[in-house]
Amino acid sequence: MAVSTIIVADRVTKIFAEGRRDEVAALQDLSLEVNEGEFICLVGGSGCGKTTFLNLVAGFLSPTDGVIYLRGRRIAGIEPRAGMIFQSYALLPWKTVFGNVEFGPKMKRLPKAERRAIAERFIRMVGLTGFEHFYPGQLSGGMQQRVTLARLLAADPEVFLMDEPFAALDAMTRQVMQEELIRIHEQSRKTTIFVTHNIDEALILADRIIVMSARPGRVKTSIQNDLPRPRHVDMQLSPRYLELKTQIWGHVEEEVRRHIEATPRDPGER
Amino acid sequence: MASTGERPRTGRARARLGETWRSFALGTLSVIVLLSVWQAVTAGGYISPIFLPSPLQVFRQARRYVTDGSLFWHVMSSGRRVLIGFVLAAIVAIPLGIVLGTSRVAKALFDPILSIIRPLPSLSWIPLTILWFGIDEGQKYAIVFMGTFASALLYVMESTRRVDPLLIKAAQNLGATRVDVLREVILPGSLPGIISGLKVCLALSWTCVLSAEMVAATQGLGALIWFAKDWNNMALVMVGMVSISVTVLMIDTAFRAIEDRILPWERHQRRRD
Repeated sequence: MAVSTIIVADRVTKIFAEGRRDEVAALQDLSLEVNEGEFICLVGGSGCGKTTFLNLVAGFLSPTDGVIYLRGRRIAGIEPRAGMIFQSYALLPWKTVFGNVEFGPKMKRLPKAERRAIAERFIRMVGLTGFEHFYPGQLSGGMQQRVTLARLLAADPEVFLMDEPFAALDAMTRQVMQEELIRIHEQSRKTTIFVTHNIDEALILADRIIVMSARPGRVKTSIQNDLPRPRHVDMQLSPRYLELKTQIWGHVEEEVRRHIEATPRDPGER
Repeated sequence: MASTGERPRTGRARARLGETWRSFALGTLSVIVLLSVWQAVTAGGYISPIFLPSPLQVFRQARRYVTDGSLFWHVMSSGRRVLIGFVLAAIVAIPLGIVLGTSRVAKALFDPILSIIRPLPSLSWIPLTILWFGIDEGQKYAIVFMGTFASALLYVMESTRRVDPLLIKAAQNLGATRVDVLREVILPGSLPGIISGLKVCLALSWTCVLSAEMVAATQGLGALIWFAKDWNNMALVMVGMVSISVTVLMIDTAFRAIEDRILPWERHQRRRD
């Protein structure tokens, strides 16, 4: 089967506060192609424009220059075809777990019975059966992030965008969530762009790891992650893993140092 | 990790219940102390009953007005005026406030008018409303309406504007249209703020109705207090004052129960606090 590209970013530039004295070039001529079904991780230090890129794909921001295509159609305005998971969950606090998961299908005007079936299925998939009638405020951070995962799966967009979704979780919960995400990705085979500054997380999850350069962000290097699947946390002890990690860290470190030397403060990464 | 913080901890619940009882006991104690000091200074002749009737006199007066049913009738008259005026103000303020909170153009249009009306105390509307509505019920409703409308509108606008923009983005990302965002995010998101604002306005409507009743009415708690003043019956004045407190307290409790009903997601948060 031929590999087809689903996302094409063509020389994308994003400048914040353009023309003002505090203008910041977050991205400069970033070009990237993502293949159908691929799981890619964007890594890089803070201020390299990872999150900005994700916001451009979701259509929350529009590029200053350049174009992003999703299946050949240009992204202009908020894009339901590219579903986002936020670091801060962004669950609707007045809806129960069920109501939140059902939200995407409801917006698609699916009939009630179908919505219910979809919601129940994905609530089960993320292991929250029995918590359908809880409100987000009653759940722990890890459980809330599972709800956002179920909500995204139920909305069934063409691409998943994840903005450091596990950054706010404690280390052990994060590990469980990573394994869950691996399992879900292996089932759904959804194209995913995952932003993280954690190299271990990228190595566990990604098919391909994109290291971004310090501001203005662009693709510094793209590394194919050939660690075998299905993956588990214990592969962090394998020689190949360490080799890849050293290689990636080499690229990242260089950029982080450059970033620290270049800028005293950090307005762009939000 | 699935079991953290789900089950209510009985130990903590019991501790909280104990705390509630303790503060209730302390509250009762302070009321009893106040009443006995009051009784002591008035019955002991330290303060002339012309200036301050004793609690017993107030109690006797209250019993007379309760048993002949006239106190209830006064409370109901005031209550009806408050309710109708307040509900009318809310009915206009809620939709208008949501529009003003979400549309910049509408806000720019209305802001100057609002800032002229808002500082006006309800008393200043009495001459005009009497001219327009006479001294019957319509005028009382109008006073309450004018006295609360601008504040209610402001509360609704503010709470609409304070809905987390991230939630709006997330909803749009899940395919919500503008109308969907309004119905699924902005309305429920601003509801807690709207309700607490309306609670403040409800208290405000009592102030409005009492001043209106003191100027031109034959029934209602404001009228009762005013007549009692003319008859030099300070005990009756105080019966009126206590009735206001009790009525407002009861309405507040009812309001809180409704709040729990329509904001179920807030209930557990309030418990946690």
